[in-house]
Amino acid sequence: MKNILSIFVFLILFPCIILAQDAKSIVKKADEKAKGNTSVALISIQTIRPNWTREMTVKAWTKGNDLTMILVLTPAKEKGVVFLKKKKEVWNWVPSIERNIKMPPSMMSQSWMGTDFTNDDLVKEASILEDYNHTFLEDIEIDGRNCYKIQLIPKPKSAVVWGKVILSIDKKDYMMLHAEYFDEDGKLMNTMHCSDVKMLGGKLLPAKMEMIPADKKGNKTILTYKSLIFDTPITDQFFSTQNITKVK
Amino acid sequence: MIAKLIWRNLWRNSRRTLITIASIAFAVLFAILMQSLQEGVFNNLIKNVVNYYTGYVQVHQKGYWDEQILENSFTEDAQLFTKLQKNKAVTEIVPRLETFVLASNKNITKGCVLIGTDTDKESRLTQLQNKIIKGTYFKNNDEAVMLSEGLAKRLQLKVNDTIVLYGQGYQEVMAAGKYHVKGILHLASPEMNDNFVYLPLKTCQYFLTAENRLTTLSLGIDNPKNAEKLTEELENSIGKEYEVMTWQELMPDVANHIKADGFSFYIFSGILYLIIGFGLFGTIMMMTVERTFEFGMLLAIGMKKSTLKIILWSETVLITLCGILLGMLLSFPVTAYLKKNPMQLTGDLAKSYEQFGFEAIFPTEVDVNIFINQSLIVMVMALLIGLYPLWFVNSLNPVKAMKK
Repeated sequence: MKNILSIFVFLILFPCIILAQDAKSIVKKADEKAKGNTSVALISIQTIRPNWTREMTVKAWTKGNDLTMILVLTPAKEKGVVFLKKKKEVWNWVPSIERNIKMPPSMMSQSWMGTDFTNDDLVKEASILEDYNHTFLEDIEIDGRNCYKIQLIPKPKSAVVWGKVILSIDKKDYMMLHAEYFDEDGKLMNTMHCSDVKMLGGKLLPAKMEMIPADKKGNKTILTYKSLIFDTPITDQFFSTQNITKVK
Repeated sequence: MIAKLIWRNLWRNSRRTLITIASIAFAVLFAILMQSLQEGVFNNLIKNVVNYYTGYVQVHQKGYWDEQILENSFTEDAQLFTKLQKNKAVTEIVPRLETFVLASNKNITKGCVLIGTDTDKESRLTQLQNKIIKGTYFKNNDEAVMLSEGLAKRLQLKVNDTIVLYGQGYQEVMAAGKYHVKGILHLASPEMNDNFVYLPLKTCQYFLTAENRLTTLSLGIDNPKNAEKLTEELENSIGKEYEVMTWQELMPDVANHIKADGFSFYIFSGILYLIIGFGLFGTIMMMTVERTFEFGMLLAIGMKKSTLKIILWSETVLITLCGILLGMLLSFPVTAYLKKNPMQLTGDLAKSYEQFGFEAIFPTEVDVNIFINQSLIVMVMALLIGLYPLWFVNSLNPVKAMKK
């Protein structure tokens, strides 16, 4: 009787365990797909404001989850500014003052160079895999694609910017197509929508990401991948503070 | 006949008349001095405050004062300048671009207020050049900063060192630059002395990627009293997209402080008038009483009381006029001298004044209005007191009056 009961309980709980595992693994698949082992990308970033728009181009290198390097190419005034993320440290090289600034965690939630992306969005200091617990919400259709809707709640003690994140991931091709970011009070802060799905670096990925802040009317930032190359070998040495001043 | 009597009465006892004239003259002198001093100190306070930084009147993009961000700046506009210069009361227009940035040296960083300004005009309005304690004053095409003393100390910077400024420019562009420290300033207000960095306007505009943009036009004007009126005129002439504010609106706490100071001056003036009044009254009363026998005799030989009253009243008026004229003549050189060589405060009091950025001096203001107003006040007082002899004569019994 006891056995039957425990099996019964197990059977009821089992799908949940599977599902919980599953939610995380889906996010992991999407994350890995977008990053590859290494990636080198040319990205244009458009900041749109009610009265003006600004465009810059950056080159970004990533290796795994811990190493990111971003170099600003245009506009001329900001050319040569570099952001480097190593594990939990973020550095910002500003050539005009010849300074390498180490960013404190408190700056992670601030705007990155005036865009609607936070510093954290860009260098992914917080890991969407390690710092959150993942659960399924429901299935949803986005731009004619069937997606999983997955809720991410930060683990206690993890230093993250958001109180809750809801991701929508394509079931077939594991692409993150939509994300909503909430603050600690459950208020929607930012919406990210991805579109223009095409072959990039040999994979099917969205080439356009729009970040729309909820509380600022007429503000938007559009990130467009001009080119993307996966899995070219890059040494760890490349992502070092010594190299930050030389990277081209 | 009556006029002759009045004239002779005055000079029959010349000493008496001269004493009265002198007492009125001194009353006028003191009243004028008091008022000139009050106005002078007042205007000097305002001048000091305005010389701090703000100017008498400021023009901004509408909404800037409530939300002081670079997005609320406006474009340098020659038309706006001509419109402002058309007004005769405007003596100086200083264009500024102001924002908050981080200043750093090696690994010390501090937030500060950055002011980009036209170096010559700024110095004409706020005497910035006189506030230098080390180094030299910057020029309009310099890539150099003027650093406030407290900030320099905090960042451990000396003249000819390099300061790093880092912040956000216009339209949220990153702003970063290295500048040569050309001079160190001692600014009067402690708050400013710990936080201010000045850059030449063009350099600052480039640094913030805000070419041809300004946050503020700071105006110098010919007379502080005209600030309110000028503000209204300018609001009408330069259009709806700008806001015009007087220094009182820009610095309400300082304005209130000056108001309270002014109130204590009024109390002083009141006490002074009381003293003047009683002094005068005493003099007139003595004179009336010592002429009792004379009045009695005049009445006894048949002069009408009304005629006697006219004679006495006229005497008072004549004496008062002479006294006031003399007083004015005396006070003019005195106030003029004190304006040139103001009274100096000394010791601790002077120190505390200087700490707040006020000059420790009490200058006077030479203003025709003060002379006329004060003379009129004393005149009214003297004429009222001149009624006493009339009242005295009214109740005079000739027989009793001639009893020795």
